[in-house]
Amino acid sequence: MDVKVKILRYNPEVLDESEWKTYSVTLLPGDRVLDALHKIKWEQDGTLTFRRSCAHGVCGSDAMRINGRNRLACKTLIKDLNPDKEITVEPIKGLPVLKDLVVDMEPFFDAYRSIMPFLVTSGHEPTRERIQSQADRERFDDTTKCILCAACTTSCPVFWSDGQYFGPQAIVGAHRFIFDSRDEGTEQRLEILNDKEGVWRCRTTFNCTEACPRGIEVTKAIQEVKRALIFRRV
Amino acid sequence: MSDIAAPRSSTRSRSLKGGGRNRSGQTNFELYSWLFMRLSGLALVVLVLGHLFTNLMLGGGITALDFGFVAGKWANPLWQVWDLLMLWLAMLHGSNGMRTIINDYAEKDQTRFWLKALLITAAIVIVVLGTLVIFTFDPCLDPSSTLSVCK
Amino acid sequence: MQRHQYDVVIVGAGGAGMRAALESSKRTRTAVLTKLYPTRSHTGAAQGGMCAALANVEEDNWEWHTFDTVKGGDFLVDQDAAEVMCREAVDAVLDLEKMGLPFNRTAEGKIDQRFFGGHTRNHGEAVVRRSCFAADRTGHMILQTLYQQCIKQNVEFFNEFYVLDLLMVGGRATGVVAYELATGELHIFSAKSIVFASGGFGKVFRTTSNAHTLTGDGMGIVWRKGLPLEDMEFFQFHPTGLAGLGVLLSEAARGEGGILRNKDNERFMERYAPTVKDLAPRDMVARAMANEVREGRGCGPDGAYVMLDLTHLEPAHIDAKLPDITEFARTYLGVEPYTEQIPVFPTAHYAMGGIPTNIQGEALANNDDVIPGLYAAGEVACVSVHGANRLGTNSLLDINVFGRRAGIAAAEYAAGVDFEELPPEPEAFVVDLIEGMRSAEGTERVAAIRTDLQATMDINAQVYRTEGSLKQALTDIEGLKQRFAQVSVQDKGKRFNTDLLEAVELGFLLDLAEVLVVSALARKESRGGHFREDYDKRDDVNFMRHTMAYRTIDAEGNVNIRLDYKPVVQTRYKPMERKY
Repeated sequence: MDVKVKILRYNPEVLDESEWKTYSVTLLPGDRVLDALHKIKWEQDGTLTFRRSCAHGVCGSDAMRINGRNRLACKTLIKDLNPDKEITVEPIKGLPVLKDLVVDMEPFFDAYRSIMPFLVTSGHEPTRERIQSQADRERFDDTTKCILCAACTTSCPVFWSDGQYFGPQAIVGAHRFIFDSRDEGTEQRLEILNDKEGVWRCRTTFNCTEACPRGIEVTKAIQEVKRALIFRRV
Repeated sequence: MSDIAAPRSSTRSRSLKGGGRNRSGQTNFELYSWLFMRLSGLALVVLVLGHLFTNLMLGGGITALDFGFVAGKWANPLWQVWDLLMLWLAMLHGSNGMRTIINDYAEKDQTRFWLKALLITAAIVIVVLGTLVIFTFDPCLDPSSTLSVCK
Repeated sequence: MQRHQYDVVIVGAGGAGMRAALESSKRTRTAVLTKLYPTRSHTGAAQGGMCAALANVEEDNWEWHTFDTVKGGDFLVDQDAAEVMCREAVDAVLDLEKMGLPFNRTAEGKIDQRFFGGHTRNHGEAVVRRSCFAADRTGHMILQTLYQQCIKQNVEFFNEFYVLDLLMVGGRATGVVAYELATGELHIFSAKSIVFASGGFGKVFRTTSNAHTLTGDGMGIVWRKGLPLEDMEFFQFHPTGLAGLGVLLSEAARGEGGILRNKDNERFMERYAPTVKDLAPRDMVARAMANEVREGRGCGPDGAYVMLDLTHLEPAHIDAKLPDITEFARTYLGVEPYTEQIPVFPTAHYAMGGIPTNIQGEALANNDDVIPGLYAAGEVACVSVHGANRLGTNSLLDINVFGRRAGIAAAEYAAGVDFEELPPEPEAFVVDLIEGMRSAEGTERVAAIRTDLQATMDINAQVYRTEGSLKQALTDIEGLKQRFAQVSVQDKGKRFNTDLLEAVELGFLLDLAEVLVVSALARKESRGGHFREDYDKRDDVNFMRHTMAYRTIDAEGNVNIRLDYKPVVQTRYKPMERKY
């Protein structure tokens, strides 16, 4: 079937302004939006630029705004998008656009790096593994799924406004360790998120939960961190 | 960059451990502010509904609302405290909400500063005036008053 | 152009690269150059687990693991290397746990283990639970955990830097030239030692579980330097790729009880591997599946695939142990694995071959000599621990054990030598390559050539191969190389020129496809992942040896491939018939 794909193009080497361009591609209903972008790049316009790698939703390269919602291009099928209408594709919002659908991910990764996203322990290491009950392991399972695609953070209106907010992803990243029974860095991590750009800026709009391609309950995770801060106990 | 739909501040590089964010130091201000919004919200539900109920439903209902009714209420310390609480909580709750909105939507640090200054001034003026009125309210200031409380 | 100087430069930030970086950055000044953001690496797509004889759930020991690895690799495995890997496996898993990797747990709170293909108790008696896992996203967790540790250690990353050339002076590796994607600028890195950890080249095939970015860049760069590539004919086809798409469904599906069925609903693996059935090594299962389809017992309208049956498993069990892969089935095929069987067919998955190294991760210039300063680890390398067929989970093990070893060896070597003067105009080759590509005015398109390459490789060099099919593939590749000379890119810009990038990648793919086919043509036997219908038996007399392929240029300037062979290291295990 023939599908129209409208893409927000931007290349400062050519033009200072971004502009919409519409392409017509023949696709199968089971094709992914990523297939559509590839067809355009490979058959019509080689200058179209986007990131992609694994193409099945585990590497997190191709988060973009498709029909106004943040999704992974490789996990969004054409048939689920009402292909009778034009499909719009834009870069994710709130991060500086470098070219077409490619944004500068550094501010995003900066936020992630700033919440100490690694296991903090003290004392001697055991010879064998640390023991952790199945229930304790289950406690933070949801947030271990994160692939750092930035779909959540760039769907958050608070992040859009000034980009100073840590963003949902960083809180998810912190949650994964705060609720890990083996970790001893909870106090420090909570203190970081107690910042004025921390969890308290969350307005529970649920955009992040809706945007997450891995189905993580992001808003719930953020609320759990808030609760941990108020009661100082996880 | 020309096409970020949502504008943002120019602060781009942030150092490790969040040092680049305008950190407010190790205070719990945002925590308490967040908590205050939830608790004051709850209290206001009771206060406002109670206020509306006594004013509009009890006695003569809305038709009996007049200067005298208010004067009568404020002769009672309970209602003085009630209205004082309502005034303070509502103003702080509302102003804090406005502060949040300014934080979220003001693009420049300067704009943010002046908007907040305006907001704080307004809040202080209203709270002070309101408090004054509640405690210094004298229905009989006018010697020719015919109100029952003045007799 | 910018110049940098680091003691150790690591090319690639997947599991092997980051594991190496964790070791070397502790010891010396290290830079990691990566084409992708580290967390985008394809290690993250690995699912099922990482085997180690922890014996947490049943009796096990690393010697059994070694035997399974050797037998699984159809005895082409260098047994000294396999011993190292399987012995160090236990610590590799425990190290990851201490770094914070959230393994699934047993009721006692220890690391849980499950069945996996080809892993057996006491030399093949029965299947054994050896694979340590985190649901069906073990690779994702390994990649995340290693990246987190790199953040903790402040490892220096150069993200979206595409390494295009290796600099060598007098047979010693002295640096690399990288192209910065964001700006189009060239960077010259001078280094005392260089570790290649850039992954495989699955994109020579159309149906593949590999990422778009797996184009064999590391192997291609080394190849163009005239350095050898080992065992390139051995490519693993994973039995259970989503039919038509190639998206990987972990072997863990069968480890957790999944069954393969043909159109008669028969559990056909009982005929091919009576003892371990669906948990036979991947090459055997893939061939069995292809055979069912060839003999008309395939499913679907064209009989083009078989079915993976999980319907007898409890939905709760599926959700706990296989959440991601069942979601793939739902998302991409609209199949509900609780109640429906999933269409699957073999998908190109893993290159057993690569840059030859010894067990320290040092790259080899020939059968005996190492290249000073050059190291390789992970899929790009061939130690060889996988021989003719890699066992499931052993790749995650490989990257951790040999990534660590390569990182240590590279740092220690760097501590003992000085920087070498770089050759004059070190960037010349890359400038030619890039600018030549950018300014080319030909009529051929990259995508068209790549599509044709992948088509011929899928038809002629996949699970079943013959002299005729391989010769056809070789002819096709020659033709495609000529077309590639006429290729031009549409994007002439500097900034994020992925059009140009794809053209360069295609160059590597064409080179590597040719090495694969030439090596396969010469191996007139069937062993592990390499199956020749015209020579359907293993031939230990003539072919118990590793292929070593070299790129040579003759007096007239023609590029040729020279094949040499290297003996297999055998310690404890004598070759025997491979039955399961």
